[in-house]
Amino acid sequence: MSQRLYSRRELLWRAGSGIAGVALADMLAASERPMRGPHFPPKATAVISIFCYGGVSHVDTFDPKPELTRRQGEALSGVGEVVVSQGHPGALMGSPWSFKKYGQCGMDVSEIFPHVGSMADDIALIRSMYAISNDHGPALFQMNTGSVLAGHPSMGSWIAYGLGTENRNLPGFIVFSDWRGGPIGGAPNWGNGYMPAAYQGTPFRSTGDPIVDMRPPKDVTPQRQRAWLDLVGKLNDEHLRRNPEDSELSARIASYELAYRMQSHAPEAVDIAKEPEATRRMYGLDDKVTEYFGGQCLMARRLVERGVRFVQVYSGGGNFDESWDAHYGLKYNHELHARETDKPIAALLKDLKQRGLFDSTLVVWHGEFGRMPISQRMVGRDHNPLGFTIWLAGGGIKGGTIVGATDEFGYRAVENRKSVNDLHATILALLGLDHEKLTYRHNGREMRLTDVSGKVIQEIVA
Amino acid sequence: MVSRDWVRRALFLYNRMHLGMIRWLPRILVIFPAFCWGDDLARKAIEVLSRNCIACHGEPMRMSKLDLRSRESIAKGGERGPALVPGDAERSRLYRFAAGIEQPSMPPGKKLADEDLRTLREWIEDGANFAEPVKADAHAAVAALEEHPVTDEDRRFWAFQAPRAHVPPSVAGAGWVRNPVDAFVLAALESKSLAPSPRADPRALVRRAYLDLLGLPPEPAEVEAFVQDNSPEAWDRLVDKLLASPHYGERWGRHWLDLVRYADSAGYEFDRDRPNAWRYRDYVIRAFNRDKPYDRFLREQIAGDEMEFPTVEEKREAIVATGFLRHGPEANIKTEQTRMDELDDIIATTTGAFLGMTVGCARCHNHKFDPIPQKDYYRIQAVFFPSKYNQAPLVSEERVAEHKTAAKRIDDLQTPWKKQRDELREPYRRRLLEEKKAKLPDYIQLALRTPPEKRTGGQKLNASQVEKTLRVEEKELLAAMSAGDLATLRDIDSRIQTLDAERPAPLPTALAVKESGPKPEPSYFLHRGSPGNKGSLMKPGVLTVAAKSDFDFPGPPEAAASSLRRRAFAEWLASAENPLTARVMANRIWQHHFGEGIVATPSNFGDSGGRPSHPELLDWLAAEFVKRGWSVKAMHRLIMTSNAYQMASDDRPDGLQADPSNVYLWRMARRKLEGELIRDSILAVAGTLDRKQGGPGIFPYIDPALWSSSSGRTWPGRPDNDPETWRRSVYIHSKRTIPVPMLEVFDKPDTIGSCARRNRSTVPTQALILMNSAFVDLQSRHFAQRLQREAGSVGSQVDRAFQLAFGRPPSPAEKVSSTRFAESGPHGLVDFCRAIFNLNEFVYIP
Repeated sequence: MSQRLYSRRELLWRAGSGIAGVALADMLAASERPMRGPHFPPKATAVISIFCYGGVSHVDTFDPKPELTRRQGEALSGVGEVVVSQGHPGALMGSPWSFKKYGQCGMDVSEIFPHVGSMADDIALIRSMYAISNDHGPALFQMNTGSVLAGHPSMGSWIAYGLGTENRNLPGFIVFSDWRGGPIGGAPNWGNGYMPAAYQGTPFRSTGDPIVDMRPPKDVTPQRQRAWLDLVGKLNDEHLRRNPEDSELSARIASYELAYRMQSHAPEAVDIAKEPEATRRMYGLDDKVTEYFGGQCLMARRLVERGVRFVQVYSGGGNFDESWDAHYGLKYNHELHARETDKPIAALLKDLKQRGLFDSTLVVWHGEFGRMPISQRMVGRDHNPLGFTIWLAGGGIKGGTIVGATDEFGYRAVENRKSVNDLHATILALLGLDHEKLTYRHNGREMRLTDVSGKVIQEIVA
Repeated sequence: MVSRDWVRRALFLYNRMHLGMIRWLPRILVIFPAFCWGDDLARKAIEVLSRNCIACHGEPMRMSKLDLRSRESIAKGGERGPALVPGDAERSRLYRFAAGIEQPSMPPGKKLADEDLRTLREWIEDGANFAEPVKADAHAAVAALEEHPVTDEDRRFWAFQAPRAHVPPSVAGAGWVRNPVDAFVLAALESKSLAPSPRADPRALVRRAYLDLLGLPPEPAEVEAFVQDNSPEAWDRLVDKLLASPHYGERWGRHWLDLVRYADSAGYEFDRDRPNAWRYRDYVIRAFNRDKPYDRFLREQIAGDEMEFPTVEEKREAIVATGFLRHGPEANIKTEQTRMDELDDIIATTTGAFLGMTVGCARCHNHKFDPIPQKDYYRIQAVFFPSKYNQAPLVSEERVAEHKTAAKRIDDLQTPWKKQRDELREPYRRRLLEEKKAKLPDYIQLALRTPPEKRTGGQKLNASQVEKTLRVEEKELLAAMSAGDLATLRDIDSRIQTLDAERPAPLPTALAVKESGPKPEPSYFLHRGSPGNKGSLMKPGVLTVAAKSDFDFPGPPEAAASSLRRRAFAEWLASAENPLTARVMANRIWQHHFGEGIVATPSNFGDSGGRPSHPELLDWLAAEFVKRGWSVKAMHRLIMTSNAYQMASDDRPDGLQADPSNVYLWRMARRKLEGELIRDSILAVAGTLDRKQGGPGIFPYIDPALWSSSSGRTWPGRPDNDPETWRRSVYIHSKRTIPVPMLEVFDKPDTIGSCARRNRSTVPTQALILMNSAFVDLQSRHFAQRLQREAGSVGSQVDRAFQLAFGRPPSPAEKVSSTRFAESGPHGLVDFCRAIFNLNEFVYIP
């Protein structure tokens, strides 16, 4: 007994109070210690990624192209070979929607995003994004992990690894899928790649219990479970006595107490039923169309409020019109998805502001690529990774900024082009992490979220 | 004008002397068009292009698809569009990139001389005339860029030295040495003034051996038999007995499956199932069970289709083995790039698994840390380049022919019905199509009305788009049909279906590779890893630094079915003089016995990897491995019968002080069970494990909320209480995008790339699954029923539980708390059983 470094209770006490630098993530990741971050004072401490999966058409939302309407029906020429993902490229096709100027900054936003438009002065637009792949799977992986090839840790994993967690009773990286299903590519989108499972994204369900096996079996009462846990503790103690200095064994014992606490904390964290009526209405919970996504945005706010580092909410799941993947009918598709998300996204920004969380929470709105200025199947648009728009708001972001530009048709980013690596470098920088120093050793090499490139997009940093 | 021209010529001459003659001379291997004083700007401009640009934008390479050798090709431009606007340098990409107005500035890594830039500018503004197309041939220049020497110094690195069969060192504590393994281990300990730990308790030992070799806990009777057996051979007999168990292959095959990124689906968007991938999994399990010599195991996986065997069965077995080359993820949209990615997966997996080398790092540049030239990568790529996908039938050619005939008979019978069906549908389809056209946007209708020869470029595109993509959906068509026609259609359909039912069942096939003949298609050095930047033609090769001399790939006979390149490559891998192959595998075997390898980075023996903790032992093991006919089981025997393996794993203050990570092996490492083995142990202890081996995968229940999507990704999960799913976890269908939660949270690798060492995390979601999941709850009930069947009183049920789960009786304190708990209420025993599954002792190998 005297040889033991920590008793079980001591250990839990240390873990619970977080003193003496014993971060629980350290213990739980056993031998693989997380990075000691941040590298410099952070401007934000949490990220909410709103992933409009399928590919939002930039020329119909945040990057108006009058030339496209003017020259509708003409061939897109002078740009080299036009590569589409599904064959049979058509001619230029104007946007079916009009644009309006919003805010003091006078940002042009499409009529399908009136609520988001009203927040223009808080938003920094990047109109010159480009990605590598025009295929959903690889493009999703690139946006989430920096690489078009599967198997790399996702941005949320990097952030959880770099900063550790602020709430030991909840996972540090949480993902909400669309009500229609998960994105193409599945779990590797929030996978930990070659990192320990401690950094993997935990999928939260939006109805019922948020986590798989969160709730004890049906007939197990809390008293019964507590008694059970005490038995496990007692029997484990015997084993630990023979190996008092094995921190792995102690960590595993601690993980049970943590899991036990998670059982009550996680459902509480996503319990939006008790939110004030005004808040619920603001997120559109009183409307069938916005109810689901609005609920997820509200849960995202509650989670960030409780110290979760990275929350990702998907708009769109499955294939084609179930996501923003408007191959068949742009008008039907984008109106559907914009209606579902416009009001909740604006509500999230407003809510973060009114709760004083806006300055410490970075909100990133993005897809995996943009869409073509030419038609597909007469009324749809095909994938376009050569140029697209994303926006950021909140912690460390200079609102009302517009960075970069695509060409006159929106086909290709031409001015001040920004890569996915640049975006990732910027997000890390806002969290106080230097993307060149945030490394994880794997098979002999210091790996990075940004591989060997990436430059912080200073223009949008406040 | 005259003076300006004179200055320009003078500057140019100066520039040519200094830059051209001195700095660039070694690199200029392009043939300049004749330079002459009397000629104009064009010649100078062409000279600038030749000197700076043509090597990458000409022949053979056309980086960014740009060719700068003629005015037409420059005007046509590359991936970014036309490179030239004659008369306007500022709008010409050629100038913009050369001047650094657009990034990346060209040529890469250096700045164009001001004078050269001025020449280009003036030339473009002058109309960019070519006196004649550039007749440059940069093949030699390109080939020179591809060379990167491997030096003698490089070859001196420890991993590239052939392993030597060192004489086991003499040690002070010779009495502890049971076999040479102990001598090497003890010598290292003595040099650190450490003593080995005492032999583990026999109960711990027997449990260790079972979990290590079979991945299943021993039955109490087996424990007792070993504990009672006092003969000196008891331990060796136990090891032999376990090595003969069919469950051994399931345990050790799983290590290999991690390494070869085995999965039952293709990954990415649709993650299509590979319904016959399991044959490879069974092949691996069988290979371990039969102790297939490792050199043969290796050859079969790389080149089974190119090898000859005395029997048809062996040949088929080897065809299945080539599934090794097919287990990588497969992209949805196929391009030249994705083919290169697939080859990269094969190169990285093959060189990592067999050579412990990160050759994949040399895809875009020479390896940053190891002496692996980029050219080695592309020479190895040339080995695998000719292999193509093959769904290889595992039956005789006669049966394949019969099958074809039988299928054709059905096709022929169906043809008239299908024709009739089309004729019935066609008028409806046409009518609906016309209705749809009338609803298209006006400008598209206008394009359709315009006679084809008068259509503008855009109208042509739109008209063709309508023609190619406007479709009538089946639903719409059926809705439009008259009742009579619909009935006829139904009748025809049912006849076609009746005939379909007579189709012969699909033949059993294997996921395999084949080649199209002895002459492979050419493959090239890809500069910066891009298929757009093809350099020299590549011949097959091996890893230069690990080969004594330039390895010779024999040419195949004329009638050969393949290039035989893979066979030759495999021969080189398996040759006794290869310094890496035996060492890497010996290290892997050691790693899975001791938790860590002698080299802690088992797939990276390079400079950035770890150094061996016991270099002489590793050498000796490698030499012994070859000497014992590459028998993996012989290595198990050797390692497990050492005293080093049989040490206790308990803490020891002096050891923790001197060597906290146990690098020098003063004790046995305590190892955590993988998720698969936790699940298997639960089933075994509950008494529900179905020990059936092989065959298609099983689908345990996964909550649909975790995977549902309409991309065709499905998981036909069976309920937890379906005994079909109570088989060992190695038989769980391995779907790349739908991980089984219980395995995923316990660090099952993602199967995207090779995994040589699993992470070992401890996270609360693991606890949640073992505490709360329906699977564990159900198996706890089965465990409780088993106890009630096999023991009378609650006290003896507790005894039995400890025997089954841990191979030991409970301590008095354990017995008291357990019995009290189990008796505390109606759920006491079940809850106690669930507690057993959750204990540290249950998930650690002692």
